[in-house]
Formats: sequence, structure tokens, C-alpha cells
Amino acid sequence: MRTLTAALAVSTALSSPVIAEDFSWAVTTDPQTMDPHAVSSAPVLGFLNNVYEGLVRRGKDMSIEPALATSWEPIGDGEGWRFFLREGVTFQNGNAFDAQDVLFSYERASSEASDVRSWFAPVSEVRVVDDFTVEIMTSAPNPIFPDSIANWMIMDSDWARQHLVEFPDKEQGNFATLNTNGTGAFRIVSRQPDLETVLEPFDGWWGEVEHNITRATLTPVQNPATALAALLSGDVDFINPVPIQDVARLQGNDDVSVIQGIEARVIMFGFPHEAETLKFSSDVTDANPFADVRVRQAVAHAINVPAILQTIMRGNAEEVAQLVSPAMRGFSDGLAERPEYNPDRARELLAEAGYPDGFSFGLKCPNNRYLNDEAVCQAATGMLAQVGLNAELDAMPVSNYWPELRADNYDMYLLGWSPGTFDAEHPIRFLASTPNEEKRLGSWNFGGYSNERIDALLPMIQSEIDDSKRQMMLDEVAGILQDEAAYVPMYVQPLIWGTASNIEMVQRPDNFFILRWVTVN
Amino acid sequence: MISFIIRRVLQSVLVLLVVGLVAFSMFRFVGDPIDNMLGQERTIEDIERLRTQLGLDQPFVVQYYKFLEGAVQGNFGVSYRQGRPVAEIIIERAPATLELAAVSGVLAILLGIALGVFTAIRRNGFAANFIMSASLIGVSLPTFLIGILLIYLFSVELGWLPSFGRGEVVDLGWWSTGFLTESGLKALILPSITLGLYQMTLIMRLVRSEMLEVLRQDYIRFARARGLKDRALYFRHALKNTMVPVITVIGLQLGAIIAFAIITETVFQWPGVGLLFINAIQFVDIPVMAAYLMLISVMFVAINLIVDLLYLAIDPRLRIGR
Repeated sequence: MRTLTAALAVSTALSSPVIAEDFSWAVTTDPQTMDPHAVSSAPVLGFLNNVYEGLVRRGKDMSIEPALATSWEPIGDGEGWRFFLREGVTFQNGNAFDAQDVLFSYERASSEASDVRSWFAPVSEVRVVDDFTVEIMTSAPNPIFPDSIANWMIMDSDWARQHLVEFPDKEQGNFATLNTNGTGAFRIVSRQPDLETVLEPFDGWWGEVEHNITRATLTPVQNPATALAALLSGDVDFINPVPIQDVARLQGNDDVSVIQGIEARVIMFGFPHEAETLKFSSDVTDANPFADVRVRQAVAHAINVPAILQTIMRGNAEEVAQLVSPAMRGFSDGLAERPEYNPDRARELLAEAGYPDGFSFGLKCPNNRYLNDEAVCQAATGMLAQVGLNAELDAMPVSNYWPELRADNYDMYLLGWSPGTFDAEHPIRFLASTPNEEKRLGSWNFGGYSNERIDALLPMIQSEIDDSKRQMMLDEVAGILQDEAAYVPMYVQPLIWGTASNIEMVQRPDNFFILRWVTVN
Repeated sequence: MISFIIRRVLQSVLVLLVVGLVAFSMFRFVGDPIDNMLGQERTIEDIERLRTQLGLDQPFVVQYYKFLEGAVQGNFGVSYRQGRPVAEIIIERAPATLELAAVSGVLAILLGIALGVFTAIRRNGFAANFIMSASLIGVSLPTFLIGILLIYLFSVELGWLPSFGRGEVVDLGWWSTGFLTESGLKALILPSITLGLYQMTLIMRLVRSEMLEVLRQDYIRFARARGLKDRALYFRHALKNTMVPVITVIGLQLGAIIAFAIITETVFQWPGVGLLFINAIQFVDIPVMAAYLMLISVMFVAINLIVDLLYLAIDPRLRIGR
């Protein structure tokens, strides 16, 4: 017996370092391309963060940390940024990494075919100083530039030229749509789009390995009930997301655990600021009541956000009063209070605005874009009806929703916004600026909200180096948006991940799943 | 005869063209693919540029014509979502659907006929009554519910069978098969039951009623009076005469199994063309949707054509009428 135990002990000791830690996970959306510059969407960028790397990257707490650049500094009084590159880094095909790859990746990512070119709008020039120093010049001082390129992934210039993929191709696809060659901690061993993608650790990775995975498999599973069953039966180790209604049940199960947090996405209502009249009203046909700030404030007071969070989100989301969540850089701490739920106040405001009996209007809402989006709109419709605002709800799939909003077919609409730069400046640029195609401003400002002061503050915010001055300006914008009830922000959407209980991982508010932080116990 | 065939083939082509036209006129209601192809930092200008590049700014008739132009040359375009040729994707996905359809078809036919004969012979027995009542479940429960129930019972609770996917597959040239590995065979069990259950109950009920009808006929009575063995009576004489309408229905149901595997494939994340189609609808991947719909209508038209020709071969009276 003793010999047997000893033999077992020896064999375990010998085999433990080489035990294969297979890890598999299921997501709703397969990353539609492997090209890091072709589609700027969370599923694509989140997945490719495991394979490709940028000059900088985000850490477990979302802070910016060195990746392919070891350090960086502003040039002069904000003429640009100088990046010192990491030496001895190789791509997964063995090619060495140097400044030429950075220049090439800039050209590729800022080309017209790229979907991430807006990140480089402030850039005027990229200079290669030597093999391991790069200067990125900006047309105006840009204090948050390093933050804004955390997802700009560096591609090997020789590899790209060899396979004729100097530019991304969204419409026809090319070699880089299916193949990768990054510097990241994992490399793709096999890829069958929509079916299965297998990764293995990249032996030549420069960083210190924290994970113990030997092989990782990604399977897209569209049906949430199927994904849940796969997790419960042990066929996969991790699913994202877990349907809200199943959270309580999973928490009672010892084999799985639920990781909850809040996402960066703020859910809000928007209004037709520019419209002359309502489009879907049966009683007010010659005016646009939502142009009156009091009516918009009435909406804010009429919606009982805590009740929505408790019933529809089952306590998994947080109230929010601004266009960004408290976890973002530049959040205005002094303006964190939402207008209280007060139907009497809402009725007073409506009466002041000249609508004592309220009015009817059309509310547009997606039904497959945000968590329980249609249910939230239904609840809001009931709450608005209590103060006389009779919304006729029209919920539709997201593929029909955006064209409808672009065609101005709404009297009020639901919108979710997740700032790609994790900074309060982002929603100002896209949601609060007067729409201007040339300057690429206000491209999601469907209602055409316009405020001169905000338009004047935005360029100043973008180029202010001093953090406290910048914050004062951000506070001012947040204050204006609240006073004018330009949007009615409601809550920050929750992130709910489900894992097998022997798995440890890190959840970030950007909903990126980083494989190198996974431990299989 | 030949003129009849030519006429039917021309009619079939016309049907295909109409199906395509209807499909293309419907695509605009599915939504706009552009928003799915661009990230949130896009501008209105980017949207319009991509729309022009894809030819989506043109009237649907023009888009349809361009699709037909490519399709007759075997080019079904490039998937908006995957950036790969649609023909390549469909060929890659077809084996999964065909294998699933074949297994559930065989299952449905064998079990359906056996149970149908059994319930017809033992009309008043307890087991036959039980099977007949249970078969109501197969007809009345929606497929996705049966699928989910099976998953919860056999994967989550008992842990015997995989909850999703196709298991390991072996590539034989361009055909990938799940028949050659243990995990592949295991993965086939639940989806094929889910997919075949409705057809099985349908065949069973059809065989039973046809069989009851036949057993009432005089020649069966005479055969029995002559002292024929029960076995010979039921299987040689009665069953054979039952099969004519059953085969017609089976033929038509085979098409249905392939076309309506969509729901089963979604529930089990079965990587076939049905799942591909569902994903294409969500993404508004027009080239994939168009190719899939055309493929399915070609299949149905072909099956109908074959059935018509078979009738013609079987029943000489039809030939005289023309």
C-alpha cells in the first residue's frame, strides 16, 4: 500500500506541471473578424486583445499600463507623444517587433477602410525616431491620447505585406480576416468562424505568465438557455452573459459561480430636440412639447428608476445621473444624484409647460440590443402614463432600430452608450455636440441637441493637460446636460458572467474577457 | 412525356425566380446590415460609403438582378458577417445539417412504421393506447421545448450526453462527419430525437390509420380465412398496401426535416445551415439569407418535381390526360 501511495505521489508530482488545463467558453456573438482594424466592436476587440497587443493596454482596474511600449512622455507643450518601445518582442510567426510595425499599423488603422480610424483623428503625423522610439504628433495637445489607443493593436508589417493585407477589407474579407499574427499571450491554433476558435499560449510572449491554461476553446452559443445548460452540465467553463432571470438560480448552485459588476454602458432616453412637431401624437400635432425643458424634466421625474432596477434588473444595475458611469475617468462626483422619482412634480412641470393633461407620443425602443430593453421601455411607458404622458411603445430589432432613428421616426427613444475611451469626453463628442459631419461630431446625437457652451467647451476639454481644469469643464458640461435634461440617463447596465466554480478570472467594466488572467484550479 | 417534363422544369424555374423576388423585396424589412458592420465611432458618411460599396443604395430589383447574375455563375457573394464566400460557408455547414436530417429521418421512419403497425394490430391494448396518448406530446409540444427538456434531463441532470454542438468531427475531403467518433455519435442523439419526433408521430399515426383501413378490406378477411399466419398477413399483405400514401408523405417530410432543422439547430447550437440562416437574419447578412432561401426552394421544387414524375410513372391515367 505504501509503495502504491508513494508511486501515486511521484506520478502526481511529475504530471502536475504538464496537466493540460483545457478551458472553454461560450459567448453570444462570435467575433466577426480576426482583423483588429476592420470592425470596432466589443466582441472583436475584446477577443483580439488576447492575440494582438497595443503600445499600451488596460490593467485589471482599467488603468493604462505599458504593453509594447515600456514608457511614454508628452513632447514639448503637447505637440504629441513619444513612445519608447519594448525590445526583444517577437510576433507569433517569429518576426521581430520594431518601430516600422508601429508606423505600418498606424497607416493601416487610420486608412479609409479601417473602422477604428476615428482614434487617429487628432494625429497629424507618426515619426520613427529609431528602431525603438516612435513619436506620434497631434494637431492639438491631447492629454488622453494614450488612453484612447489602448485597443489599437499592432500588426507585423512584413507579414501583412507578404499576405497582401496592407489594408482591412470589410466587404470582401482577406487573409487577415481569418488569420492572426500578434504579439499577445495567446495564438490562434484553429479558427472556424461561427463554430469554434482554439487558442494556445504563445511560448515566445514577452510578459510574465499568470494563467495556467494550455488550450482554450471559444464556441459561440446564441441561445442563452443552451449556454446556461452547457455551463451547468460542465461542457463549458464560462459563459457571458448569464440571463438576468437565471442569476438567482445559479447563485444557489455550488458547481458554478456568478461574477457581477457594472458595465460601462449607460441606458438613457433621448428626445427630438430639433423636430417641429411630434410624429406619433394623436392630440398634439402642431408643436413639439419635448423642445420644452420642463417637459423633459417631467419625464425624468416620472420614471421610477429604483423600481425598474428592482423588478426588471432584479437588483443588478446601478442608477446613474450622467452620460457616463461613476467608474469612468472624468465622472462629475458632485452631480451624482438622479432627479428624484416624483410624479407630482412631473405633473406640475407639465402644467407649467402648458400640458396639464399631458399628451400622447411615440416611444421607440430596441428589443434585442440591451439587457431587457423592451421590458424597461414597457415599465417606463406605464410610469409616464401616470403623469399623463401616453407613450405608444414601438419595440423592434436593432437592425431596424438605427435606420428608424436616423430617419427621425420617433418622439422619444431609448439609447445605451458605452464610452470607448472610458472617459467622460467620449459621450460629449458623440451625444451632446451639435451634429457636424465634417468634424465627425454628434454622430449619435439623433435628436440634434445643441448647446453653444458645450460645443465651445469640447475642444478645450480635449486639449487641456491640467487634470483639475479639465475636470471643471467636464463638470460644467455635465451640469448643463442635467439642467437641460438633454437626455434622461437611468442606470448603468450590469455585467453578469457565469463560471464553473474552479475557475478564477477578472471581470473588467468594458466586458473584455482576458484569457491571461484565468486560473483553472 | 418529354414535353410534360420540360413544362414542369420551366414552371419550377419560374417558381424559383418568384421566390427570389419575394425574398429580395422582404430583405429591407429585416433591417439594415450597415450598423452591424461598423463600430460606434462611425459617421453618417461612413454609413453611406459602405452602403454604396455594397450596392444597398440601389432598388431591390437591381440588387436581385445582380444576385441572379452572380448565382448563375455559381457566385453567391461574400457574407457581410464573415467576409468569406457564401458558397464556401454553406458547403462547410451542409454536412452537419444533412447528417442530422438523415439520422432523424431514419429514426422517424423506422420507429414510426414499427409503432404504427403495433398500435394498429393491438388496437385496444394498454401499450397501444399509451403510445397513442404519448404521441400527442410529439405533435403538440413545440420543438424548442422538447429540445430544452431533453437537454435539462440528459445533459444537466444526468450528465450522459453533451448539451450542445457536434462533438468531434472527422474530415473526409470536404465532408466533415460526426459518425466516426464517439463524441460525434453521442452529440447526434438528442438533436435527432428532437428533430425527428414530430415526423415520427406523424408517420406512426398515418401508418396506423392506413393499416386499420386495410385490415378491414375483404382480401384480408379471405386471407385470414385461408389460414394465413398473422405475420405474413400483417407484414406481407397489409403493410405493403399501407405504404403507398406513407411513402408520399415521407418524401415530402424529408424536405421539411432539412428546411425546418433551424429550430433544433438553434437549441442545440448545431453547426448546420439552419443556424447559419438564423445568425444571418440577426445580422441582416443578405447574401447568406438569399443563398439559403434559394437553396431550400431548389430543394423543395426538386422534390416536388420528382414526386410528380413518380406519379406519372405509377399512374398511367395521368399520362392520358395530358
